[in-house]
Amino acid sequence: MAAYNFKKITVVPPVKDFLDIVLSKTQRQTPTVVHRHYKISRIRGFYMRKIKFTVQTFRDKLTMILNDFPKLDDLHPFYADLLNILYDKDHYKLALGQINTARRLVEKVGNEYVTLMKRGDTLYRCKQMKRIALGRMCTIMERQKRNLEYLEQVRQHISRLPSIDPNTRTLLICGFPNVGKSSFINKITRADVEVQPYAFTTKSLYVGHTDFHYLRWQVIDTPGILDRPLEERNAIEMQAIAALAHIHAVVLYIMDVSEQCGESLENQFHLFESIKPMFANKPLLIVCNKIDVIGINELPAEKQKILKEVEAAGIPLLAMSTLTEDGVMDACERLLEHRKIHSSLSKKFTDLAGRLHVAMPVKRDQKARPPCIPESVLQRNIIAGDTKRRKLERDIELEEGDDYNLDLRKTWDLHNPEEKYDVIPEIWNGKNIADFIDPEIMRKLEELEKEEELRENAGLYDNDEESDDDDMKELRKTARKIREKRQIIVMESREKRRVEKSRMPRTGRKVNPNEMEEELGKLGVDFDSSKETNFARLRSRSASRKALKRKREESAKPRSQTRSLSRPPRDKSGMRDEVMVKKAKKVARKAQHPQNLSAKKGEGDRVILNMKPKHLFSGKRKQGKTTRR
Amino acid sequence: MAVRAQFEGNNEVGVFSKLTNAYCLVGIGGSENFYSVFEGELEAIPVVHASLGGCRIIGRMCAGNRHGLLVPNSTTDQELQHIRNSLPDSVRVQRVEERLSALGNVIACNDYVALVHPDLDRETEEIITDVLKVEVFKNTVASNVLVGSYCAFSNQGGLVHPKTSTEDLDELSSLLQVPLVAGTINRGSDVIGAGLVVNDWIAFCGLDTTATEVAVIENIFKLGHGQPSAIQTEMRDSLLDR
Repeated sequence: MAAYNFKKITVVPPVKDFLDIVLSKTQRQTPTVVHRHYKISRIRGFYMRKIKFTVQTFRDKLTMILNDFPKLDDLHPFYADLLNILYDKDHYKLALGQINTARRLVEKVGNEYVTLMKRGDTLYRCKQMKRIALGRMCTIMERQKRNLEYLEQVRQHISRLPSIDPNTRTLLICGFPNVGKSSFINKITRADVEVQPYAFTTKSLYVGHTDFHYLRWQVIDTPGILDRPLEERNAIEMQAIAALAHIHAVVLYIMDVSEQCGESLENQFHLFESIKPMFANKPLLIVCNKIDVIGINELPAEKQKILKEVEAAGIPLLAMSTLTEDGVMDACERLLEHRKIHSSLSKKFTDLAGRLHVAMPVKRDQKARPPCIPESVLQRNIIAGDTKRRKLERDIELEEGDDYNLDLRKTWDLHNPEEKYDVIPEIWNGKNIADFIDPEIMRKLEELEKEEELRENAGLYDNDEESDDDDMKELRKTARKIREKRQIIVMESREKRRVEKSRMPRTGRKVNPNEMEEELGKLGVDFDSSKETNFARLRSRSASRKALKRKREESAKPRSQTRSLSRPPRDKSGMRDEVMVKKAKKVARKAQHPQNLSAKKGEGDRVILNMKPKHLFSGKRKQGKTTRR
Repeated sequence: MAVRAQFEGNNEVGVFSKLTNAYCLVGIGGSENFYSVFEGELEAIPVVHASLGGCRIIGRMCAGNRHGLLVPNSTTDQELQHIRNSLPDSVRVQRVEERLSALGNVIACNDYVALVHPDLDRETEEIITDVLKVEVFKNTVASNVLVGSYCAFSNQGGLVHPKTSTEDLDELSSLLQVPLVAGTINRGSDVIGAGLVVNDWIAFCGLDTTATEVAVIENIFKLGHGQPSAIQTEMRDSLLDR
């Protein structure tokens, strides 16, 4: 809401910290490893980067300071004056100007040494160049020590200034010291300004806000002003003067009629006359405070005359007492009245026409459209003293804590409340039950129930067992007994006949096609095993298979037709007889052995490539060599 | 009476709730704070937790009055059953197949008239007439087609988009047969429908709503002792001097 916010200025560190921040940032964020044998262009680049980075960091930090601090020329004249009073405009501008110069100088030094770096021919020289550059930048910054300290002080003070919006509707309270200005602001706002029974308790501006007629009002409490020429006023008084001069506000000039503040009414009136030029074009009120001590009518005649004079000049006079709160609200009422008269409405009015225009409907038919407010609500409005608080869902939630579970069905409003928590499946037998909800289902159910009742009444379900005579009953009983007995006999005999040996499962049994054909034929199924059946392909388990691979020992006949039969196989060609062949094969197998071994060697196997490394077995033995051998 | 509320730090209470003269629907949130604001103030009508199509933004999804409730096509069967079971039998609940599925944004209604988006289907319009028992008017509010978002009205009065011209206000007022005024909600927000839910005896608005805005609401909707005429007389200065 406040147009001016000075709270967001970043901290200005003292120069030592400032340099530490910048240099350590350079150290952290640029490469740190360089070697003598690197190519010279790489070494130069390395140090150039360091210089450039440092310059950049300095520039960023200083620019931030320059941007953060408000520029006096761009500020509202009230703030410009206030800052001038509090921090001295010249000093402030000079400090910022010097920071700006420092920034330029740092950049200049940076550029200079980046250029010089091109002449560096060794690592050492490049490094020295970098050191000089950084050192010079630091020296430049060290000269700004005082300025940085000053700016930090300004920052701390400025961030604590009250956020006064110079353009909003404002009440400005002014007057001699100790006349009750702060008491008044405490009365109407929550500013909580310190009130003490001595002059100059309030040493700076204070702001409070109050709501009146749906509007928010800014109330500014100013330090007391003494009756003396402008040049002699001190900084505390000047703040009040700045506020008076620049803020377009309703001015309350508070006068102490009881003269408890130590100044006579004449003096107070004289001050009023002397600062009157600042009240031009502003609604003005004179408030006679402390009437609980002495009423206006009880004043001596000459003092009453002064007040009469004021009233004659057309300035409204108000009597109030901040102690007994007489007339405080009256003052607010008068202020709004003033504001109303003096505010210029013409420009805003067109924008706000719709908000002020309540469109009342033109009747278009005779239909009545009354509001529908339940009787209980109307009753409640009449009673209005219904203080009993119901237990709300939130209370339950707080009570149960983590165990709380939202019960959605709580609000269900069913004909039969017992059905509230019935389980309703979403899907039943693969079908969404919502699709089968029949709007007529209740009516149908009722009809069915009625029908059922009729049937019952007609005696459809009456049990006719009772009509049997005793003979029949006896007969039934005997029959039941016989059935039970027979069942038991059957079960017993099955148990006896059971054979205790392993049985071939039916699926494992071999089926003879002929038997099967015969059996099925008896049942009337036409079955021919000779064709389209897989019975024919059954083979006996004992059949030996053909060898999958040609045996090595006796070379088989070559399969290929292109190879001549007369040519001996390769393993036998050139051999004298079978003995020789065997011997040759044995030799070959033995020769293969080491190769086979090495084929089994893996990466993980231990290998010693060089059993006797030269460097360990030549020259003098010095300390620590023996164990390694 | 106008009550300030907030849904999980959000001021747009009209998004998360639907208030009529016969029932109140409240979105299911992380805690019961928001629900209990409604529950505490509304003893005469059922206050029901609801979700529509798994969304908590029910105020923008559905439209309704004391006669009925229209829910979008995305509403699941279970949600529909829950709403049906919770509302009194006098309220008809109807699922609407409409391209503009955020029904709350395109339909604004009280118990007698409805203001709808100009592009709404004819079938939907008929359903509105049947289920909500209202006269339907296709119109815009300050040349915005989303009438549900930019206005809120009860049987006693209505608040519309702040940029509505006086001619439009008069026209809308004659259509709706209630007093209307242009205004803002939630410290200057123009989405009235999102920041405010209102029925004939109570209103709920966002926590940011200023004293002036609350006073306008209480006067135009005749809540408590408010009267629409007070806006032009007593409140005139407060509205002008800002």
